[in-house]
Amino acid sequence: MRQGAAPLALAGLPLAFLLVVLVAPAVRLVAEGWPTDGHSLQALWAPWQDDYLRWRMVWSFLQALLTCAAALVLGLPLAWVLARLEFRGRSLVLRALMLPFVVPTLVAALGVLTLMGPHGVLVQLGGPDLQGTAWLLLYGNLFFNLCVVVRAGTDALEQVSASRLAAARTLGASPWRAFWRVEWPAIAPWLMSALCLVFLYCFAGFGLALVLGGQRYATVEVEIYTLVAHELQLGQAGVLALWMLMLTALVAWGYAAIERQLATPGRADRQPRQRPQGAGHWLLLVVALGVFMLICALPLVAIAWKAIISGAFLSSGEHAAWRVLLEEDTRMALWNTLRFSFSAVVLATVLGLAHALAARRSLALRTLVFLPFLVSPVMVAFGLLLLYPSWTGNALLLVCAYALLAYPFVAKSVASALDSMPLYYLQAARSLGASPWRAFWRVTLPLLAPALRRGVAFAAATAVGEFAVSLFLSRPEWATLTTLIYQHLGRPGAANLDAAMVLACLLMALTMGTFALIEWRGSREPDHA
Amino acid sequence: MKHGIFSFLAAAIASLGLVNAASAADTAELRVLTHSSFAVPKPLLAQFEKEAGVKLRITKAGDAGEMLNKLILTRAKPIADVVYGIDNALAPKALAAEVLDAYNGPAATRTAVAPLPAPLVPVDYGYVTVNYDKAWFAKSGMALPKSLEELTQPAYARLLVVQNPATSSPGHAFLLATVGALGEEKAFDWWARMRSGGLKVAKGWSEAYYTEFSRNGGKYPLVVSYAASPAAELFYAKDKPTEPPTGSLALAGGVFRQVEGVALVKGGSQRAAAQKFVEFMRSVPVQQQMQTEMWMYPAEAGVARADVMKFAPEPAAFDAPAEKDLAARGADWVARWTRVVLK
Amino acid sequence: MLELRSIHKTWEPRRGERRPLLNGVELRVASGQTVAILGASGCGKSTLLKIVAGLEAPDSGTVWMDGQDITRMPPEQRHFALMFQDFALFPHLTVQDNVAFGLVEQGIRKAQARSQAVEMLRRFGMEAFALSRVWQLSGGEQQRVALARALITRPRVLLLDEPFSALDAELRVHLREEFRQHITAHGMATLWVTHDEAEARAVAQVGWRLEQGVLQALWGA
Repeated sequence: MRQGAAPLALAGLPLAFLLVVLVAPAVRLVAEGWPTDGHSLQALWAPWQDDYLRWRMVWSFLQALLTCAAALVLGLPLAWVLARLEFRGRSLVLRALMLPFVVPTLVAALGVLTLMGPHGVLVQLGGPDLQGTAWLLLYGNLFFNLCVVVRAGTDALEQVSASRLAAARTLGASPWRAFWRVEWPAIAPWLMSALCLVFLYCFAGFGLALVLGGQRYATVEVEIYTLVAHELQLGQAGVLALWMLMLTALVAWGYAAIERQLATPGRADRQPRQRPQGAGHWLLLVVALGVFMLICALPLVAIAWKAIISGAFLSSGEHAAWRVLLEEDTRMALWNTLRFSFSAVVLATVLGLAHALAARRSLALRTLVFLPFLVSPVMVAFGLLLLYPSWTGNALLLVCAYALLAYPFVAKSVASALDSMPLYYLQAARSLGASPWRAFWRVTLPLLAPALRRGVAFAAATAVGEFAVSLFLSRPEWATLTTLIYQHLGRPGAANLDAAMVLACLLMALTMGTFALIEWRGSREPDHA
Repeated sequence: MKHGIFSFLAAAIASLGLVNAASAADTAELRVLTHSSFAVPKPLLAQFEKEAGVKLRITKAGDAGEMLNKLILTRAKPIADVVYGIDNALAPKALAAEVLDAYNGPAATRTAVAPLPAPLVPVDYGYVTVNYDKAWFAKSGMALPKSLEELTQPAYARLLVVQNPATSSPGHAFLLATVGALGEEKAFDWWARMRSGGLKVAKGWSEAYYTEFSRNGGKYPLVVSYAASPAAELFYAKDKPTEPPTGSLALAGGVFRQVEGVALVKGGSQRAAAQKFVEFMRSVPVQQQMQTEMWMYPAEAGVARADVMKFAPEPAAFDAPAEKDLAARGADWVARWTRVVLK
Repeated sequence: MLELRSIHKTWEPRRGERRPLLNGVELRVASGQTVAILGASGCGKSTLLKIVAGLEAPDSGTVWMDGQDITRMPPEQRHFALMFQDFALFPHLTVQDNVAFGLVEQGIRKAQARSQAVEMLRRFGMEAFALSRVWQLSGGEQQRVALARALITRPRVLLLDEPFSALDAELRVHLREEFRQHITAHGMATLWVTHDEAEARAVAQVGWRLEQGVLQALWGA
């Protein structure tokens, strides 16, 4: 028996899925617009010769890199505090961290601008108006991506062996040195995984970046979107997308190679959390929570605030904001959100689990986990249309699209847990009479459960937040909460704005409830996050 | 934990069934392709379904430009039988791509208030204009700009937010108005001056209106929107004001009349039902609802105006480039705009 | 009777570098007999055990049990129980569910398996811990539970991989006697890998030393 390896045939499931839903449509679309008159080689170099596009590519790269650096510096203290210290409100912070994922882009922009826009709190306190600057774009990126780094950091820190830490301390290392020499090397691979994801998100940055940074700071993805959706210049779009794919695939591959090298099965003795002791801990706690409030929480609070203020006028006129919650459209949207997200999460869990199990030995498979983030979603959307026109109105395809963007989270989370799981559990189970399948079912899967839950939580957040799925064809009867919010924001009028804010609050509440449900079963374990 | 997993799986399979429920219907299906702003009241749609004996399957495909592109892309195997939302700016592209079929029924032969080239049947029309924030102008004491030329003054240029014509229908309309009024060269000269004056560009209407417009917390009191927007502001206001908080400027060269139409898709099925749908869109109940559902004026002559629309008077004049110019150079104008304003 | 014939295994510490670990190992363990294998760390003792258990395949050579060639048989069918230095108790199960694990694999219903497990724990004096979680036990307690878990399945062969390395000297002495009694009571063939010669002499009738990939007889063979 090879230690802990699932048959590579298990990879067939996610690979087939990726082929049908992602690769084939994208290739078909590019083929549609590829120049057939022998100028293809020239066309390949076109983006680099055009100043504007060159700047876009460089800027996409730069802002992604900057965001990664900022996310690491700001996220690490928060991760450490959440992993090592016990304080009231800890689980609330952990769950609230993921809310930015769920909030629709435009709503998030409104929240951010309430704080930092021309009439925002920052301006009122005497600070500058950041609207339209690169700073706001960076802030927007951080808002969405900080949670990825923090969650990964927290998971990683919980895997660090307590005895190793104790050994370092007794050997003369101060807490800071112990962190630097013992904890940091142990968590580095996990963090790199998260940073890679953040990089890919920002590089392909679509929504928030565009709204907050304006057209000057838009990324290449916006160009591709414009070329495909509005100008039908499939050839040019294909070339750009190809370059994007090559550059991001390099990043993904580099990360996967490093992760595989650094992955070592660990021991199961965790460092338990303790109450903050001494000024150092308290200071760190305050700083970390400050970062959390400033970057993740404040825009959401601003949205809730706007919604509450608008709802204060409960009975004025037929367009009172709270009434939107009672409308039939809202009920249907809520139901749609629930059933689509649920189905998508189930599909994503199955795919993610299969992929993670099959990818233990294969570098190629590990890199492929990122594929959904490497291919431009607008190309996939239009490619699907071209390749499967008779499936356009099909709900299954829609759920597949949701699952496509959600399953890498499950796969990444499970893969990391598999990497650090000690081998002897599986060996003991096998020698006690369990066949490979039984050993997986009775031992591996339960031990993976915490990581699986975290991955599923992220997948659920992505599905509910519908990141980029709005590009796909939709039917009015399938409108989800997010679509409904955008519908309200498609018309002028204060009532529409307020209704959108109220619906956004409903969305956030729904998500918090979902997280609580997903993680509730894990609360019986010790040191659970 | 096993119980948890099995009940989870059972629920999942059940929900997938729900998702795909009733896809095999006995009644025929009429596939309608529209843009995202399509809004006809459900009772009217239900009545149509009953009278025509078909089930309506409406697909929203993004904004009008995206929708047309999706139609063109799938012309070998059309995804709809009838399409609504192609406007006069997009008509040349639609005609050149040959994705529409002719219709000669009563709705097409009746005169409409605003025309569209055949085979499109006009359904509604609106005006893209520059809207202004009354409160801001009252507070600053500045006079409202009266012409495109005045807008290029630095004091005004940095107050305007427009949408990218490549990604936004009103933005595209505004561009066409300037080209129609000033001619191509002078128009792009104007845009270049606006850019150096501090013009702001947003991706789409929602972004411009809800994040940049000063009424909603932005710093730009002038925004490209619709002549009917002030009426909508009044309709959707929280406390009951007597007049709208915004207004529409009828600048020469800054007004574009957008006419939307419905047409049969070439290669589509359910011809009889599709034709009935075209008639349906021109029927009086639907036309009347256009005003407060989609904030557009009805194309059918003689339809009563809704009360609130008195706050959205139709501009006296509007500009547009000649049809053959639009057909020949439309795409070039957008590309040039991107070079002049963004790059 | 367990028989190893001409087992060869090489080891690849780095790419392209192969070192012979087991060089033609021959071994016989009779039923009821305890055989100890001594040797320095890293010399291949654990690998030998894993080959016997079926968790690794030898490069060449065969493993026989009661006259049957089981070299290709998967571990769950061999009925050999393996015990680890790290105890390897499942953290997500209670103590009694840990002990009952193998019984459930044999098809015994959970309720009955649990009661049998508690009975087994009683023999070890550990029935009070039946519903405890694994991390609430000390090292010695955990290793006792691991032995209970192994023995309850009535294995044909018991394999111990340095079972007391993680425990202190006094505990080691105490436990080795306790284990010897349990093993004798069950009467199966036992292969005991350790680096502690005193321990080996106290529990095993036959002793070997693994050196340079070959077994050297020490006593009783």
